Amino acid sequence: MGETGRGSTAAYNYPRFDDYVADGGDVADEDAFWASPRAGQRAPDFVVPRLGDGAGVRLSDLWRSRPLVMEFGSFT
Amino acid sequence: MFIYTREAHPGENVPHHDNFERKLASAKLLAEEAGIGRDILVDDLDGTVHHAYGLMPNMTWVIGWGGRVAYKANWTSATNVEAFLGRFLSGRAGHPPGTSPAMYETQQAEFRYPDRKRFMQHLGRNGPRAVAEFEKAQQLWAQRTPT
Repeated sequence: MGETGRGSTAAYNYPRFDDYVADGGDVADEDAFWASPRAGQRAPDFVVPRLGDGAGVRLSDLWRSRPLVMEFGSFT
Repeated sequence: MFIYTREAHPGENVPHHDNFERKLASAKLLAEEAGIGRDILVDDLDGTVHHAYGLMPNMTWVIGWGGRVAYKANWTSATNVEAFLGRFLSGRAGHPPGTSPAMYETQQAEFRYPDRKRFMQHLGRNGPRAVAEFEKAQQLWAQRTPT
């Protein structure tokens, strides 16, 4: 991804919440949620580093033997 | 399991991410100050995982056996998730192996911050700018034409 414009790293990590709302970012992100895989469809698989030891964790390894609850969020 | 994404309400004390080291430092705040005891996986700076799952700031997904989406909610409600898991697990136990669940769709309108006072205290912890920007965002939301 580039450095400017919607979809860029800089736009994704917006510095100001009011500007994000003024630009319609919250509406676009709500739309992105409803466009994401639906119940019954295959979940996207990734390898993601674990905080602490940095070990790469493959999501599909976590949901292989039992359902996986994935909560998304941040500190703020 | 928790996936750490981007800062939703950055402020002077907890700014937005402009490099991965800063992102890791803020993720540590989540573990230490917010007391998240589960494994925290840190998405990359571009939000690759976040984009694939729909970009909402505090959502919950449940992925069932075989990697199929079993539950998705654009806002986290622990009560809803627990109730769903109870039904999902007991339902599977009561069906022959190989039986697939069908999509069962519910939409509901709820208040995202039932404890508003606590939410505003959290904004203040992020920095005064986070409070001011949320108040301005509320004015912007009020100006939007209802659909």
